[in-house]
Amino acid sequence: MIDTIIIEGLAFALPMFIMAIGGIFSEKSGITNLAIEGLQGFGAFAGAFAAVITMGMVSAGSQIPYYVSFIAAVLGGMLYALLHVMLCIRFKANQVISGVVVNMLAMALTSFLTKRINEALFGAKSDKFILDTSMRFTVPGISKIPVLGAVIKSVYPFEIIILVVAFIAWFVMYKTPYGMHLRACGDNPQAADAAGIDVYKVRTWAVIFSGGLSAIGGMSYAYSISANFSPSIYLGFGYLAIAALIFGNWSILPTFGACLLFGFARSGGQVLIQHLGMPSTYNDLVRTLPYVVTLLLLVFFSKNNRSPRALGEIYDKGKR
Amino acid sequence: MGDSEYIIEMKHITKSFPGVVANNDVSISIKQGEIYALLGENGAGKSTIMSILFGMYEPDSGEIYIRGKKERISSPRYATKLGIGMVHQHFKLVSNYTVTENIILGMEPQNKLFGFIPRVDIKKANRDIAELSERYGLKVDPTSVISDLNVSTQQRVEILKMLYREADILIFDEPTAVLTPQEIESLLEIIRSLRDAGKTIIIITHKLEEIKAIADRCAILNRGKLIDVREVKDTSTAEMANLMVGRKVTFTVDKTEADPGNVVLRVEDLSVKDEMGHEAVKDVSFEIRSGEIFALAGVSGNGQNELVDAIAGLKKAEKGHIFLNDKDITESTVRERIESGLAYVPEDRQNVGLVMGYTLKDNLVLKDYYTDKYSSRTVIKDEAKAENGTRLIQEYDIRSGKGNDTIVSSMSGGNQQKAIIAREIEMNGRVVIFMQPTRGLDVGAISNIHKQIIDERDRGAAVLLISLELDEVMNCADTIGVIFDGRINRIAKASELTVEEVGRFMMGVEKGGES
Amino acid sequence: MKRFLVKLLGGKEYQMLRISIFSIVLGLLAGAVILLLIGENPLAAYMNLLQGSGLLPKRSYAGKQNMFTDFVQLLDAMTPMVFASLSVAVALKGGLFNIGVSGMMMASGFVASVLVGYSSLAAPIAKPLVLLIGIVTGAFVGSLIGWLKYKFNINEVVSAIMINYILMYVITFFINSYYVDAVSRQSKLIGESARLTLVDVRAMGLKFNIPLAFVLAIIAAFVIRFLMDRTTLGYEIKAVGLSRSAASYAGINIGRNILTTMMLSGALAGLAGVTYFCGYMGTIQPGVIPSMGFNAIAVALLGNSNPVGCIFASFLITIITRGSIYMSSQQGVEIELADVITAIILIFAACSEFFRMYVSRLEQEILANSQSVE
Repeated sequence: MIDTIIIEGLAFALPMFIMAIGGIFSEKSGITNLAIEGLQGFGAFAGAFAAVITMGMVSAGSQIPYYVSFIAAVLGGMLYALLHVMLCIRFKANQVISGVVVNMLAMALTSFLTKRINEALFGAKSDKFILDTSMRFTVPGISKIPVLGAVIKSVYPFEIIILVVAFIAWFVMYKTPYGMHLRACGDNPQAADAAGIDVYKVRTWAVIFSGGLSAIGGMSYAYSISANFSPSIYLGFGYLAIAALIFGNWSILPTFGACLLFGFARSGGQVLIQHLGMPSTYNDLVRTLPYVVTLLLLVFFSKNNRSPRALGEIYDKGKR
Repeated sequence: MGDSEYIIEMKHITKSFPGVVANNDVSISIKQGEIYALLGENGAGKSTIMSILFGMYEPDSGEIYIRGKKERISSPRYATKLGIGMVHQHFKLVSNYTVTENIILGMEPQNKLFGFIPRVDIKKANRDIAELSERYGLKVDPTSVISDLNVSTQQRVEILKMLYREADILIFDEPTAVLTPQEIESLLEIIRSLRDAGKTIIIITHKLEEIKAIADRCAILNRGKLIDVREVKDTSTAEMANLMVGRKVTFTVDKTEADPGNVVLRVEDLSVKDEMGHEAVKDVSFEIRSGEIFALAGVSGNGQNELVDAIAGLKKAEKGHIFLNDKDITESTVRERIESGLAYVPEDRQNVGLVMGYTLKDNLVLKDYYTDKYSSRTVIKDEAKAENGTRLIQEYDIRSGKGNDTIVSSMSGGNQQKAIIAREIEMNGRVVIFMQPTRGLDVGAISNIHKQIIDERDRGAAVLLISLELDEVMNCADTIGVIFDGRINRIAKASELTVEEVGRFMMGVEKGGES
Repeated sequence: MKRFLVKLLGGKEYQMLRISIFSIVLGLLAGAVILLLIGENPLAAYMNLLQGSGLLPKRSYAGKQNMFTDFVQLLDAMTPMVFASLSVAVALKGGLFNIGVSGMMMASGFVASVLVGYSSLAAPIAKPLVLLIGIVTGAFVGSLIGWLKYKFNINEVVSAIMINYILMYVITFFINSYYVDAVSRQSKLIGESARLTLVDVRAMGLKFNIPLAFVLAIIAAFVIRFLMDRTTLGYEIKAVGLSRSAASYAGINIGRNILTTMMLSGALAGLAGVTYFCGYMGTIQPGVIPSMGFNAIAVALLGNSNPVGCIFASFLITIITRGSIYMSSQQGVEIELADVITAIILIFAACSEFFRMYVSRLEQEILANSQSVE
């Protein structure tokens, strides 16, 4: 039972984590990003499309489409993030509104394109790209260790990908010059500008990375939760990722903690409900937990919870 | 190196902004290794000319030579490359970064992880900064976070930022405005030692004493034009002051002797904290009578803002009491204070005094839109509002594009101020607070406002005037209080004080009690 | 080109209106390009939109339907959107973002369904009661968000997102546990007496779905306009929205004002909720946050936060969403294309402030040029 909680909890928490890191990149640079939901959806769309194409080219059971899909998802997410970049940076639109419309377009466009593509390529008007179910692997031997061993039992390959990418993202954010510039732009863009940093450029890349990272999350859910891409990818996990990053105070490590908490609460609740023989509808009550906890955290610790100082402010180089 | 003896030559610089010529054919030349002061009143164009030198603006016409070579300085980045550094009036620091991180930002020392992954070498940076601060005697802990540091330490970080970038031309924009006298003294010491280390220093200021203390030469600007360049040691402060304002400083205001009545505003042992939680006003007590102008003199940032905010109800008092006509208003809301007759012309016209997106007529009823005069059962009487606007525009000569319906953000600063003063005077208050009422205005407007202040007194109001301009204080006040470091050091009849005396108290040189 | 733009969008008279129309035209043009790319005739497709929403006659009608019944249907769909966009607009005027309209809509629709929709109350009592419950529930959620903001300084966008999902999951739980319809997997249809849309009314040999609250929505828009432009409350809300520091200097209680604004905004969102779930739909789909709440943000923007503008913007967006069904059946175009076009229009609307700044810069440039020539 505890094994299931850990296995399913991690499978849910890690994609959430990578999306939240995406959000952190954007918000730490000063751009509010409610578009995570749309970015992960568009990324999953691009990845699933690429997977469907490659599946036709390789033999059944091949793992190639799986990895191709993640690469395509990242590219798709980055490309689509350019829309948020354009609206927020070039056209100086309100960043909250931009996020909302970027999400709207993502939902409409991906459903529309999925149908179009299915009709053109496969002659069927379906709004789904059917994917193979992802393989899962178990590290032999040490996974037998009680409780802790569950961490390496029935692991989706994307969980490994996410951990590697997350580490790279953490390194970039806190150890490289770019990361330092990025965080400076979110606190005081004028200071960054005076130090010779191109604020627009830093923010542009931050939002683009945000798109790529969110896309990994979306693609992972497409493989783990539904085994297909369909409009049901827009379940609000992008918004949950935002809750996680706020909970984690816009820092990567605490956000990891928040995601684990959300993931285990979800899987733990599910297991508990099954175990007690309660109807599965109770799962919906469990799903409120992350939001309730985040809200309570904000109520009690709002003093310690600091968003980046320049978050959401439109930066105009001309003004001093 | 060119053959010129000057490291910087700015020739015939002209720069206009919509509506003003900020620099009109200004030429200045600065020698290697001197301290060069730019002196002038607000709006004289001294910040503009330095912003041009630092690449923040490009001039409309004129030429710039650095070390004898003609340059087009298109950005601060390029200015930095030329070895020019600037400490802005508002520091440009990342608040949640350490001292080191702020200094190295944009040119971080790097080492390569595995030989190819760039990584900020923060250990080396910390060592470098520690060494740099040691070398120039600028004491600061490289690992402390900016938001924990006080203003003068933050300023040292800004100076180190320039030095780290190996700037040898250092521009200081009003560096002492935010400092205490002790801090000023040590800053001036730092500037001297920087000069001795071979740096060329330009300092923008309107404080004569500082120029006298450190500058070698001094350029005086007035209304965008260069008036003169003087050797400081051969010029008296009085002479500089005359050049600065462009005429003899003799604008006294016609005013009769005060005829004070009852005490209207009484402040008792008031203490107020600032945003950072430091006590900014400490045990302040004073009283103002009807028909009296009480002027509070002091250098900027000595607790004036907090004091006035506490009286107006915008900030909570930590301790003490405020009485208006013997009624304790310490805990009253802003509206209750307004209704008991407190009128207030705030310092910040654009963010506080006016709702910039509202029309003129809407702004002219900002404090009484809800009264029976302008509304009945919560419905606003448009006609009464418009009539009020039309009348005030006429009486106070408020000029604007579309009269009543002008959005105030499109009006000039002077007319915005007229609108605020009109509204506050019309309140017929028992206490009228004027905070920096003439800041940034031209001479005509200034004398007009001084007259209005005196009219308010003659009407029987108790007037509190807070000003950073000593002239204004001396001209208008019946009674003068001097605030320094959150305390009122001296309260006396204006006639009993000389400018020099007030100046000494303002600087905290003398600390006396009430007379 | 520049001069043309300035002529089109410059000047102050009705500038925002012209910019909104400009955004719509750009969006429709972009949609036309997409239609051309997929080999469809944009003109025909746009005609279909108008036909589908009862603004142009269709070629043929099913029994007991004609252009007029389609148009009434359009008004039925539009009613909640008017309320929702008004809700967003009121909050925007007060300097607040109400991204919680969706949650408020679900809450009010659900509470009204449970308390009145499944009861046997007579229509003259049930219908006003549904409206009242909608107002109260929405106002309650709205004031909760306002209270969190002023008491704990929690950003209203953040708390609204949390509350949206909490409400959605809780309501989903209750619907699935107690009120689910076994066939549709949605909540059971509410009773006719409580429904705010009169379904299948026969008149003149036709069958209508009459939105009872449509008139109320229009009245609400004008009431809000009056409230904002002519009353002290509106004066205060706008002052706080434009400058908190100036408003508090003027003696306005900022905290109370934020609370009032969100309460008002919430009440309107509540009305949107009951007219949508207890009117147009008659049922609630569990597990989904209604997208109308998000669309309303952009619709309010398109209407320039002006109450009457919201009516027109809602009308336009509803034409596209309603008409798309017919377009899809006639042209074989995917119905989602309508959403794509809507989203593109709203993207342009999001740039309206940029258009305004850009045009005013062009105006100055042209002015400067003409002066230097003289």
